[in-house]
Amino acid sequence: MTFKLSLTAMALMAAATAAHAEKTKFDYWYGLSGDLGAVLAQTCERFNASQDKYEAVCTGYDGYELVVQSAIAAFRAGKAPALLQSFDAGTADLMMSGQFYAVTQMMKDYNIEINWDDYFPGIANYYASSKGELFSMPFNSSTAVMYFNTDDLAAVNMPAPTTWEEFDTTLKALKAKNPEKCAYGYEPSVWVDLEQYSSINNVPLATNNNGYDGLDTKYVYNTTSAVKHMEDIKGWLDAGLAEMKVSAGGMNSQEAFSQNICSFFFGSIANHSSLNLKHADNLHWDVAMIPTEKGAERHNSVVGGASLWVLAGKTEEEYRGVAEYLKFISTPESIKFWVSNTGYIPVTKSAFDALTAEGFYAAAPYKGRETAIASLTATVPGPLNRGFRLGSMIQHRAEWLSEVQAALAGQKTVQEAYDTSVERGNALLEKFAKTYAGKTLP
Amino acid sequence: MIERTPILNFVTHSILVFGLFMLLLPMYLVIVAASHSLQDVVAVPPNLLPGDQLWVNLQAAWAKGHLGERFVTTFIVAMGVMTGKIVLSCITAFGIVFFDHRLKMPIFWLIFITLMLPLEVRIVPTYAVAANAFLPFQTLLDLTGITWLVNALSGVEIKLELNLLNSYAGLILPLVATATGTFLYRQFFLTIPEELVEAAKMDGAGPLRFLWDMLIPLSRTNIAALATIMFVYAWNQYLWPLLVVTDQSYAMIAVELSRLVPKYSATGGEVPKWHIAMAGTLIVMLPPIVVVVAMQRWFVRGLINTDK
Amino acid sequence: MRRAYFKNNWVAALMVAPQLLMVFIFFYFPTSQALYWAFTLEQPWGGGNTWVGFENFAAILSDSYYWDSVWVSIVYAAGSTMLAMSMALLLAIFSDRQLAGYKLYRVGMIWPYAIAAPAVGLAFRFIFSPGAGIMMFVNFLVPDLWNPVASGTQAMAMVIVAGAWKQVAYNYIFFLAGLQSIPRSLIEAGAIDGARVLRRMRDIQLPLLAPTFFFVLVINITDSFTDSFGIVDTMTSGGPSRATDLMVYKIFNDGFQGLDYSGAAAQSIILMILVIALTFFQFRYIERKVHYT
Repeated sequence: MTFKLSLTAMALMAAATAAHAEKTKFDYWYGLSGDLGAVLAQTCERFNASQDKYEAVCTGYDGYELVVQSAIAAFRAGKAPALLQSFDAGTADLMMSGQFYAVTQMMKDYNIEINWDDYFPGIANYYASSKGELFSMPFNSSTAVMYFNTDDLAAVNMPAPTTWEEFDTTLKALKAKNPEKCAYGYEPSVWVDLEQYSSINNVPLATNNNGYDGLDTKYVYNTTSAVKHMEDIKGWLDAGLAEMKVSAGGMNSQEAFSQNICSFFFGSIANHSSLNLKHADNLHWDVAMIPTEKGAERHNSVVGGASLWVLAGKTEEEYRGVAEYLKFISTPESIKFWVSNTGYIPVTKSAFDALTAEGFYAAAPYKGRETAIASLTATVPGPLNRGFRLGSMIQHRAEWLSEVQAALAGQKTVQEAYDTSVERGNALLEKFAKTYAGKTLP
Repeated sequence: MIERTPILNFVTHSILVFGLFMLLLPMYLVIVAASHSLQDVVAVPPNLLPGDQLWVNLQAAWAKGHLGERFVTTFIVAMGVMTGKIVLSCITAFGIVFFDHRLKMPIFWLIFITLMLPLEVRIVPTYAVAANAFLPFQTLLDLTGITWLVNALSGVEIKLELNLLNSYAGLILPLVATATGTFLYRQFFLTIPEELVEAAKMDGAGPLRFLWDMLIPLSRTNIAALATIMFVYAWNQYLWPLLVVTDQSYAMIAVELSRLVPKYSATGGEVPKWHIAMAGTLIVMLPPIVVVVAMQRWFVRGLINTDK
Repeated sequence: MRRAYFKNNWVAALMVAPQLLMVFIFFYFPTSQALYWAFTLEQPWGGGNTWVGFENFAAILSDSYYWDSVWVSIVYAAGSTMLAMSMALLLAIFSDRQLAGYKLYRVGMIWPYAIAAPAVGLAFRFIFSPGAGIMMFVNFLVPDLWNPVASGTQAMAMVIVAGAWKQVAYNYIFFLAGLQSIPRSLIEAGAIDGARVLRRMRDIQLPLLAPTFFFVLVINITDSFTDSFGIVDTMTSGGPSRATDLMVYKIFNDGFQGLDYSGAAAQSIILMILVIALTFFQFRYIERKVHYT
């Protein structure tokens, strides 16, 4: 027998549970804040209003790092949410832990029909096991694109560049035309400069097909054309064709672009919406796919954003509620609600086709966002374009940034910086593999 | 005071005005930002003069941040932390300074070391304790084999649970358990002349009487300083309330305020609503200022001799 | 230092027991678990761990970047402590003269302590942004003089000033309280003996302020080592090229953001040992010079 001396400081909660006894509650924690967080909260309200059996109790956190950290603390204390929004950098740890309920399995267990083939492979692959089983529900998805000032390009009579070589020519033309204006507001971003670059140009970031095939992975990006690309960027900065625009300097690259200070900006398609809402009155702009290396065949870019994980250790009733919720958010109406109120892209082909058919992408403010879909679906993802299954990504990103800053400040060459960053990244991967010694990637 | 020192007075005022300028400059920028529309706040070059949107922004911040409700919860927590800290650190320092036992310094260090490891580092296990405050005792019982023994003898399995998540106790207690106050009181108690202790003993006063009649009246200014600091410290708490509270009826104000300035990466590049956030800052700052002003009464000189 | 004491030690035990209990529950118990991870490789989701002994420490201590970070932390601690303490002491001792406007000065100096963290970040972004605000003016006078994005030294200066700013108000409160508990009769006696204002400050007030000064010093140094990641996170994220990568920021980045609990725990132990050593040093050598009664 179990003698449980239970003193709860939450007398109120017991009463509250009794009052709503007819609805099964489940917790959902997410990491979006600001306007995006508000839209997500509305998704919960819409779900709660749509049926009377389940109630999603949604709690927002300021950022994925914070929500994942909170969920881990709660999980270890047995108080975790049933549903968690987690980001790319948290994927490896979650997969290795096994403390989740794979969505495909859950939907099967609860007899909910979802056409998994309808999901864009570029999105689904990122959250799937090496064998292709989808573990988490694709939700807020984005990819990186190139934003450009249409007036400035028209002034030099040039189209949006499609290769980095053309990009170089364009920068020179812009600078020749208007030496006062910042042509390219650059902000170091491992996601754009390294991860997207490697996928689009089909070069490896790491061995084992970017980590999908095992834990004994090594970074190799110091041996690919990614080095040359970073050298190009440094060249542009040194020549004054690009300028550093980071928030430590008072203004980040998006602000510099939206205030009509710089002509180019690289960032997530999710920012399309915020740019629309807030930009200088005299700014006219559009988006295009990120350029490729000359002569390289364009491959698909990788998905960004986050997906929804169902955590282990919950009751069947809660899971039933979660399954209903996931079904709810994958309906075409919900997807439309989500993409029209945020800058994210639809995750299923049918939703995208339906939106295109009704002219959603034909006019402002949504025009241009189909570029992201085009970029994500440029090719069927091969072994080097599925995404990255790497441990300790946050620390690796910090290492990369520090080394790149050193190279851009002229303290070392780009090759030296990348060699160091790879070496330190490998140490992180080795430690990660050792942490999960005896386990294998699913 | 007594003498005329015109030059020194001028220097004094200059230094103080300069100091005030340096300290208040950021505050001024907050007010400026709170009085413009967002377009003007993020404009380049920035406005350095106040605009006319202050009232509008204050209203927006009040409504958007649910500041009315949050004031109540935050006030309860801040008062709880302040009172708890003052009482707890006072009696602890008393027990360390005015008694002669070997454990004085070890106990002081044991308490002092709590300053050296920020919450972020120990978040996971601390959360576990908040989810069950009896966990340490349960673990002790388990480790010492008592659980096993009781179970073997009586068939009863001991399981202690005290959940502090979403409660005032969970918000207040962990914030009270740090060392600043104890250290401050120790420093002050050490300056109390030995003669006072001797006199008290001569009069036949016990330690508690001495504490109540002598020490507490003497520490007025220090209590005022500590109360100010602790109230503000608790008022502006962010991370701990964020973690232990998911029920919004216990939400604290700094968490709400930070929602107005979301992280760039968590919003898809949305420009934070600086004007509303800054207006919110002004509102949120009011209670601490009231405390600062109220505590001023206690900042008076002349404790030991003249007024008594 | 011989003192008169009360004899009933059971009262002392009763006095210290509540706080010891709290500290045990909310600090030592959880902390000991976190620190145990330093000797293992802990899986963040709690799937278990592998004992590795001192391997984590060896990896950290053999990393030259880590030693840079130790150095950067010492520079930050020294800079921000000196700046915050000297400013606060100067302002407190002159406020304490209680000239006209004293109350106004007093409220004005304490006010900044009440400001919440997000607002501090914004205000300092305004102040230090090279392309806007006050520093834009500096750059207008001398082009490209101020650029914390590229210059590590300037980034460090920026973080030190911002870190010290809020601490000034904190220190000021305690200094003022300390100055005010100096009995008036002592100062008056000094005045009657013919000591002028500045001389009285030096000979009477400053020595009597020593216990408070010691308190503020220890707290400032400890805080600058353990409580400074917020300011780094909002202002520089440790950059450019690790110039402001404080030890505690690295712990925050590895452990809290990056889920490397074991690495962060090992770094925490190193940081704790460093801060304890510094504090011990201060108690041993500086407190000796403090006369309490």
